[in-house]
Amino acid sequence: MVLVVLAAGFMLILLGLYGALIHRNILHMIVSFSVADTGVNLVLIAVGYMPGRTAPILDSNVSVADAVERIIDPVPQALVLTAIVIGVGVTALMLAYAYRLYQTKGTLDISKFTELKW
Amino acid sequence: MVSPLFIIAAPLGTAFFISLFSKEKQRLAFLITLAAMLLMSLVSLHWVFTYLTSGPVDYYTAGTLPPFSINFRMALPEACLILLINLTGLFSTLFLKNSLLRMGRLSMAVLLIDIMSLSGIVLTRDVFNLFVFLELMAISTGGLVLLSEDNRAPAAGLKYLIVSQLVTILLLIGIIFAYHATGTLNIDGLTVASLTHSTGGKLAFFLILIAVIAEVKPFPANGWALDIYESAHPSFSVIFSVASSSAVLFATAKILSIAGPEWLPIASNVGIITFLAANLFALSQTNDRRLLGYSSLGQSGLVLAIIGQQDILGDHYLYVAGGILLAHAVAKAGLFWMSGIIKGRELTDWTTIQGHPFLIFSFATFIALLIGLPPFPAFYAKWELIHSLAGAGRFPLLAMILLGTLLEVGYLFRWFGIILKRKPDGPGVLQKKRHRKRMVIAATTAVGWGMGYLWGTLSPLGHLFHATPLLFALSFLLLDWLPARIKNSLAIAGLVGYFALQYAGYNPMQLIFASVILIGGAVILLAGFDNTGRRIGFYPATVLMFAGLIQLIEARTSFDFFAAWEILTVGSYYLILRGKQSEPHALSYILFSLGGAFLILTGFSLAAQGGYQIELQMLGTVPQSVAPWVFLFLALGFMTKTAAIGLHIWLPGAHAEAETDVSPMVSGILLKAGLYGLMLLLMTMGKQQLYGVELTHMLLWIGALSALLGNLLAIFQEDAKRLLAYSSIGQMGYALFGLALMNHLGWLMAMMFVINHYIYKSMLFLSIGGVARRTGTKEMYRMGGLLKLMPLSFIAVLIGIIAVSGVPPLSGFGGRWIFYNAIMTSEYRLPIAVLFLAGPIAFLYLFRLIHTIFLGQLKDEHRRIQEAPFWLIVPQMIFVALLMGVALVPGVALRRVDHYIGQFFPNEGGGLNWSGMTISSDFGYWNPVAIMVVVGVMFATLLAWLLFVNRQAQVVKQFNIVYAAERPYRPETTHFAWNFYAPYRKALGFLTQPLVTRFWQTVTDLLHAASDLFRRIYTGNGQVYAIHLLAFVVMVYLYSKGL
Repeated sequence: MVLVVLAAGFMLILLGLYGALIHRNILHMIVSFSVADTGVNLVLIAVGYMPGRTAPILDSNVSVADAVERIIDPVPQALVLTAIVIGVGVTALMLAYAYRLYQTKGTLDISKFTELKW
Repeated sequence: MVSPLFIIAAPLGTAFFISLFSKEKQRLAFLITLAAMLLMSLVSLHWVFTYLTSGPVDYYTAGTLPPFSINFRMALPEACLILLINLTGLFSTLFLKNSLLRMGRLSMAVLLIDIMSLSGIVLTRDVFNLFVFLELMAISTGGLVLLSEDNRAPAAGLKYLIVSQLVTILLLIGIIFAYHATGTLNIDGLTVASLTHSTGGKLAFFLILIAVIAEVKPFPANGWALDIYESAHPSFSVIFSVASSSAVLFATAKILSIAGPEWLPIASNVGIITFLAANLFALSQTNDRRLLGYSSLGQSGLVLAIIGQQDILGDHYLYVAGGILLAHAVAKAGLFWMSGIIKGRELTDWTTIQGHPFLIFSFATFIALLIGLPPFPAFYAKWELIHSLAGAGRFPLLAMILLGTLLEVGYLFRWFGIILKRKPDGPGVLQKKRHRKRMVIAATTAVGWGMGYLWGTLSPLGHLFHATPLLFALSFLLLDWLPARIKNSLAIAGLVGYFALQYAGYNPMQLIFASVILIGGAVILLAGFDNTGRRIGFYPATVLMFAGLIQLIEARTSFDFFAAWEILTVGSYYLILRGKQSEPHALSYILFSLGGAFLILTGFSLAAQGGYQIELQMLGTVPQSVAPWVFLFLALGFMTKTAAIGLHIWLPGAHAEAETDVSPMVSGILLKAGLYGLMLLLMTMGKQQLYGVELTHMLLWIGALSALLGNLLAIFQEDAKRLLAYSSIGQMGYALFGLALMNHLGWLMAMMFVINHYIYKSMLFLSIGGVARRTGTKEMYRMGGLLKLMPLSFIAVLIGIIAVSGVPPLSGFGGRWIFYNAIMTSEYRLPIAVLFLAGPIAFLYLFRLIHTIFLGQLKDEHRRIQEAPFWLIVPQMIFVALLMGVALVPGVALRRVDHYIGQFFPNEGGGLNWSGMTISSDFGYWNPVAIMVVVGVMFATLLAWLLFVNRQAQVVKQFNIVYAAERPYRPETTHFAWNFYAPYRKALGFLTQPLVTRFWQTVTDLLHAASDLFRRIYTGNGQVYAIHLLAFVVMVYLYSKGL
């Protein structure tokens, strides 16, 4: 199961990168990056997952004493949460950029924004 | 003590706070932002002082230890970087005032977040926390790019975000696998857990490392950064170039500390390739901000390469890396800010700062900081870096660093030349009344000088600011508001006074050179009294050159020698650049000179054998395995200054186009620096063989060819000052030949040349300069018949050419006589024959000089010409007297030198016998007084006879040629001066083909062509940039597999 998620994660990353590199439309690129981000998050989850353990919440089911034995490592999950938040921020910023660029030229084709070069 | 957490909390809180304000309170928000920046800067300053002495201190969060929490580390490097980042933030806020007010309080919040994230990058010891701060940096950068009014900026920002998405992916995957392998995200924990010892760990480490390096903007994955530099607000570019780059470079160093030294070559190689590529591409830039961007990329690359050298730099690592990093930071901040007060974006638009001496001074300071000229931090840093590299045998890297720096010299000094010499496009390009912005630039300049002082204090090798001559020269910067005549008097007093204080301590050889430099310099400076007004910029440059020259003579260690060499080079460059048409010539001068200086640096670093300097007297003790190379590099370096053939192309233009009283300084005095170096080299190292080739024999040939070709080129010049300049190449060839003979009399002759060449070349340049001033031209065929109008100048030229040609009775003959004696014992027949051939050629150009200017027919437009200005004549008459004096009693100067040289040739008789009025050698004798008397009697007799014969001659007017077959109406038709030696040109012209010029032209053309071709990989398309990054990652990965 973990391997499947891992493989799916990497597939999504590659798919996202592929999409970002072949689509000229900036919105398509942003979506592709979101796909890749999701893939990264899946990889994080998959790597951090420990089979047969429970969620890292200390309540009546899991006592502090045996927590180390029973819960999965909370760090990767914290990482994923942070990464998701940051990903949202970056995506929002890219969308804002797309809007600004569309305003200036009336197009979203990235190959049209090459006045700055060399 | 304030906890480092403050530096995160304060901006975060302020940003949150001001975003709550209503829209009307932008000004208040701005003031609060400014106050926050100021407070953070002060706190950082306090940390710098706190951690100056104490070691690193860790600060823990969340009440627990890593790996269960994040920790911050604070030590001196961190404190300095935080200070740098916050000061950059503070000044940028000041500079950005209008833009921030226009964009509103939220932009101020973003600015605060950016500064906070950069501080976080420096402080954190947790890899994931590093990721968070990097992302914050990316987002805030994306926001701040939009501060620009340039409508191309959003595209640049998007390109950056695309690249940063890729970086995120790499970094996150690397982080999770590193965590999986070790169970910690703490950098020190990862080190302890030996992350890079397992295969998976290696890959994880590689991903983290490459992601952080990608933020350093490595070649070729840096097109996006250039676009940001070109389009962003210049003040944001300052943050981007200075603060962001410094922070991510520090992060790279932190990440590298996880792994062993076997990973360092990645940093070295990526860094140096970036450095070279960026500086190469910058050659073709005409947009100022893009050019600065290329330069920033290059400098980051250089620091990255230095990070890769920490294994050999040891204790000096921080000093070296910090020197380069901080010097670049100050310089680049200053330059970007300057670009903020200049409206146009072409390099030529900067001509608008002409007439603003302080801005020009700032610009000069900044490019000196970037290149690493003394007395700035990068000078000390590069010196130590090059020595460490040479000591560790990393020669390819050493060569590439120097080559890249030379490229940088090329485009920065070309820009400086454009600024000073091109005509401004029109008024009003400079933004008026921006006192706030100018204050920021002034403060930055001051910080640059302060850091130079600091690095000098920290240097174990010597403090350049402790050298009196340099301080004296710098004091003229402060006195530049005084009238020229007062400054001239001060300069003369300084030169003479310093000589009076110091001369007792010099050995005879030093004494000769010091007299030529200080007393000789003072005599030439007399001509400066001719100038009224303030002559802004002249005296700092002149005195700087003299300071460098005298420090060169006094230097005992290789470090002092090299520092002096660069100081005199810089001073003379500014001096040469002052000429009206000097822009291209000054550039080629500085390129050849600094190229030569880098060869000298290489030579010294080889000689130091892993040390940081070597006593000059110990050059002879360098092991035989490297000695020939040391000799080769040093000799080549010195020969760029003596303009040996092949390295001479800068000289004619530089000397000919210089101002009237500058030409004699740079010709009569400055050239001697190269001779002094060569003399020192031969005295200490003697004969050296490289692959069986006797190197002094090579010098002999170079000297002979320089003499022949220099003289030959001189005879075909139409421009009188160019003629004199080419003649200097020939004269220096003679001196080089004398030195390379490696015998007693050869050296004595070279010393004689030092004195003689100074006197007659200075005199000739002054008198020709005076004539050119009066006639308004330097072309000899436009002159003629000036004998009666400018008799004193005529006398000076007459005496001068008698002395140069080496006929009796003047001192040139003495030189020749010693020379003939010297070659009697030498076995090198062929070069001697070449040298002999050069002799008569000298007569040709000297004859042309006096004939076409003073004899023949007076031109119509010159009929009302007067004698040259009084203050130009005064030094000439002193030189006439000096020449007579040296001719009559050469022993005064040479006797002691002769004795001194004798100690280097103990096994050789060879010396001269100085008894009474007669000087005798193994082959004959020379009695200067008798010769003078004989020639005087002959002259008097002939003159009397002439007067006797002519007593009944009829005086006619210019065109009263009654007995001629035809009657010319214009002087031009009777005075043939153009292409004077046409027959000789037919016969020997093939020898004067400008092959050398063509060679160097081809080299620069190729560089420019390569620059223009390869920079096109930056197509401007965001997707192409993404592909660059991926390709970069793959290439480095393949390379790292091979490690």
